[in-house]
Amino acid sequence: MSLAGVCQEKAGVKVALTGNEAIARGALEAGVAYAASYPGSPTAEVLGTLSRVAKQFNLYAEWSVNEKVAMEGVAAASFAGLRSLVVMKADGLNVALDFAGALAISGCRGGMVMVLGDDPNAHSSVREEDSRNLCKAKHLPVLEPSSVREAMEMTREAFALSEELELPVVVRCVTRVCHASGDVELGELVRPERKPDFTRENRVITFGIKLHAGQESKLARAAHLVCDSAFNSYTGPENPERLVIASGPCYMYAQEALEMLGAGGTTGILKLGTTWPLPEALLLEHMERVPEVIFAEEVEPFVEDNVMALAAGCLPGKVRFYGKRSGHVAGPAGPGIGELDPDVLAASLGNILGINYSPGTIDNKQEALSLLEDKMPDRELAFCAGCPHRASFWAVRAALELDGRGGIVLGDIGCYTLGMARTGYYLLQTVHCMGAGIGLAGGMGNLSRFGFDKPVVTLVGDSTFYHAAIPALINARYHNSNFMCIILDNETTAMTGHQPHPGRQHTAMGEPAHTVPMEDIIRGVGMPYIVQDPYDVEASIEVIYDLLRQEGPRVLILRRSCVLAAVRGKQKDRVYVNEDKCIGDSCGCGRFCSRVFACPANVWDAEKGRARIDEAVCNGCGVCASLCPQGAIMVERGV
Amino acid sequence: MERGCEFGMPGQEQLQKEVMDRDLCSSCGICVGLCPYIKTVRDRVKVIYPCGHEDGTCYMVCPKTPTNIGNMDRAVFGREREDQALGLFSGIYYARALTGKPGGAQYGGAASALTGLALREGLISSAVLTGGDIKSPRPVLARDADTVARCAGSKYTGVPSLLELNRAIRDGLTDIGVVGRPCQVVAVRKSQQGNLPGPQYPSSSGIGLVLGLFCFWSLAPELYGFLQLETGGEEIVKMDIPVEGPVAYTRAGKYSWQLEDIRTFIKKSCNTCFDSTSEYADISVGSTEHDPVWNTLIIRTGKGLDIFNLALQKGVIEIREYPPERLPLLRRAALGKKMRVLSLLEKDLGNTGYITLPEKYRRDLETQWGGINQ
Ligand SMILES: Cc1cc2nc3c(=O)[nH]c(=O)nc-3n(C[C@H](O)[C@H](O)[C@H](O)COP(=O)(O)OP(=O)(O)OC[C@H]3O[C@@H](n4cnc5c(N)ncnc54)[C@H](O)[C@@H]3O)c2cc1C
Ligand code: SF4
Ligand code: SF4
Repeated sequence: MSLAGVCQEKAGVKVALTGNEAIARGALEAGVAYAASYPGSPTAEVLGTLSRVAKQFNLYAEWSVNEKVAMEGVAAASFAGLRSLVVMKADGLNVALDFAGALAISGCRGGMVMVLGDDPNAHSSVREEDSRNLCKAKHLPVLEPSSVREAMEMTREAFALSEELELPVVVRCVTRVCHASGDVELGELVRPERKPDFTRENRVITFGIKLHAGQESKLARAAHLVCDSAFNSYTGPENPERLVIASGPCYMYAQEALEMLGAGGTTGILKLGTTWPLPEALLLEHMERVPEVIFAEEVEPFVEDNVMALAAGCLPGKVRFYGKRSGHVAGPAGPGIGELDPDVLAASLGNILGINYSPGTIDNKQEALSLLEDKMPDRELAFCAGCPHRASFWAVRAALELDGRGGIVLGDIGCYTLGMARTGYYLLQTVHCMGAGIGLAGGMGNLSRFGFDKPVVTLVGDSTFYHAAIPALINARYHNSNFMCIILDNETTAMTGHQPHPGRQHTAMGEPAHTVPMEDIIRGVGMPYIVQDPYDVEASIEVIYDLLRQEGPRVLILRRSCVLAAVRGKQKDRVYVNEDKCIGDSCGCGRFCSRVFACPANVWDAEKGRARIDEAVCNGCGVCASLCPQGAIMVERGV
Repeated sequence: MERGCEFGMPGQEQLQKEVMDRDLCSSCGICVGLCPYIKTVRDRVKVIYPCGHEDGTCYMVCPKTPTNIGNMDRAVFGREREDQALGLFSGIYYARALTGKPGGAQYGGAASALTGLALREGLISSAVLTGGDIKSPRPVLARDADTVARCAGSKYTGVPSLLELNRAIRDGLTDIGVVGRPCQVVAVRKSQQGNLPGPQYPSSSGIGLVLGLFCFWSLAPELYGFLQLETGGEEIVKMDIPVEGPVAYTRAGKYSWQLEDIRTFIKKSCNTCFDSTSEYADISVGSTEHDPVWNTLIIRTGKGLDIFNLALQKGVIEIREYPPERLPLLRRAALGKKMRVLSLLEKDLGNTGYITLPEKYRRDLETQWGGINQ
């Protein structure tokens, strides 16, 4: 977990890196010249790392406004012959898909790698997606690292493969690999001369059915090449009774599971590092020797379906398949849903092999969990202490209640997505994808012609605004849709670790930026807007209320820096409760701060029957003090 | 949430059901700021979050929750009324400010003059008033005579100015003066009688003086949109609603309408308001309905009489006899309103709703109305 490790000049040494750092290192070892991304978990740190070493390695790194733009920029560098890398989470591929599909037709020149971060179990995503099916649909080859070491090696080798095929290559990396940390043996760092070469002679056109045939032949060549790839390997007995085909971290899980079951002597594992196109010859060679095949992969039965299709053609009726389709390989949420782990896989394999697997570790797990429970404060998912979104959501809720017409609230993607839960007073009624809130609001706002009379409000973050909101805003202006767009501007891409966006003064590489203020955009679109500080809750309520009563598309910017960024390196204001003034549970308060407003630092001291501020958690915003009906919460300004 | 019953009365949920949801709230503001759950913008007063208590102060102090007229009389005056039209009082006059009449005074400026005097003499520490301009009125707590002068002039919408009373009490002020509409006067008196626990509630020492305005109804803020259209966007500096119908003055001139033109803007709550002359004020102040530079003044309580005498002695106001021939007109207006309210409530609900009228009052009311209507 070190930048020093990523930049280590000496080849052959072993350093501990995270999966994301390993990807960055792999790209450096391949001599990457151009890297771009839009921040998203689990892969946000790849570009974060590259941007920090950009000067040192004379490469260009940018946080792009969105994934499609990032991919286009990266492709341009590739067209000019440079090695280039684009990084995004699974959801980002959806945004970039239109271009990705076209690019797969035209192909590329300099090695171009797309790192896709899939998030099985949706640890830090709104949904679980398996991007491999989209890659297949777009004719893109896919590699899947099973470990941190492989993440580095695959990224590095993917550039060469891309040049060989003249096709971008996908490295599909799941959360457990991106966020794991492990020892990797470093390769040589290279610093090729960067000489972009693109002249009037170059043509990169995607037109005509002939190119489709070209794509198919590229993939056929890829299928041939990957049969010899070192990323595919077999471990196990010479004449196994059955074969597990595993990809990604499931390779490790499968090894562990077989060990736990004591079935390693009869069962072999074929690790698939190249999951699309399939190394058909290799697969057939292994499958011919066994009557049973079991699949271990996350999330969807991607390898499974494609291998079964292959077998149906080449080995009809010869092999029995176990996996998600047969229902045998499944986590607690069911086959094809959520992550696998060694326990789940051991239980599944035990079932198939007829070995009674009682997870001895489960008891320990329960025990460990119950031990942890005592130590861990019982906290639900909530906005951080002092988060400006809490103040904003409270003001919106109050204004809607005051307005009394049952206003509708549409959500978007960002920290404020949490506003669908208690921490946002359950305000959000829709959550879909980046920018969808504004498009939906436009639609709802057009329904008045059918008698729909509820005010429509949509909440969108600043980064999401730049990313995906603008066309919907233009559409709304053009059609005079009736809604109010509230931009929750915390002046950063907070959720993924405070990456800059076009509203900021600096670029990813720390260079001064030509800032694009959102006000200029809104003004340009021709919408009226107001800027308001959400920490001033009373004033915000009034502004929102008044705007609710207006017509047409209109914008309110609730602007206040993310509290985590704001307090960094500063002494926080001290906030405490004057116990003589606090009236606690009685009429006139009813534990407002801890029960309703519910900043995590507002706690209830049941013994004293008084509110308390958890000073270790409090970020000193003072919003609760401004809302306390008794003026019992005091703020001591820090110096 | 299970919580004990502190006062043995209904609370927020009932207030919402019985008053707010039925549009009976007159935006007096007394429930705003007692707790964090009832908020206001413009003339709106709403519950924004359930407080979790079954009972509560808000219900008790609201002028639109059950109110027994006989009990109110006894609590404020120590006896019951004979005059069903105007309630209890010791004198009625024409009056106007002699010194310190603010430029923007509605009529004779008596309300502002008396408030200013009480502040200067230290009889009150501060005064809850309604300031701002006609189009965006707002509650004000005045601590000096200048602020009082700036608040002169009637704003015809329901401004929840009593929220300032709650704030002032929370800030530790006592002897606070209030100038308010009749519903607001009722609210202040209810809260004084409440013996409410804790320093956060109005108590008898909290209130220094209550000046009540005459008021037959207030209007919804949508009125401004209408006026703005009618005056072509010119700024309205003053409004009045004499019997002939509403008038608005801009710097360029005067616009007038029929009462019918603005009837849709009358707040629904005002149609069920039983009190048009602030019957529980120390002194009530109204128009004369014919002479725009004079006020009608009704002296009601001992406290009211003291400040009235002081004002005369100091030459702050001058008075004239209330023309005896006009008294029946005023009484008929007040009685007529009560009869309309009762018949409306009885038609809608089959009973008198939030108004509890002792039997004797009811009989007297009918008799006096019958008498005056001949
Ligand atoms: C909504 C409303 C309706 C009214 N209807 C009638 C009526 O039908 N017949 C009648 O005779 N008189 C009515 N009045 C009273 C009248 O308009 C004058 O306010 C009153 O006569 C005092 O006059 P003044 O010259 O002494 O006022 P000023 O010296 O100008 O003082 C006016 C005072 O009224 C207060 N005030 C202004 N607007 C409001 C408001 N919306 N809510 C509470 N307080 C406010 C100000 O704080 C100020 O203290 C009404 C007043 C209001 C606010
Ligand atoms: S001041 Fe209050 S709202 Fe802000 S972080 Fe501290 S406890 Fe939370
Ligand atoms: S009338 Fe007054 S107390 Fe009653 S609900 Fe309305 S603002 Fe609250």
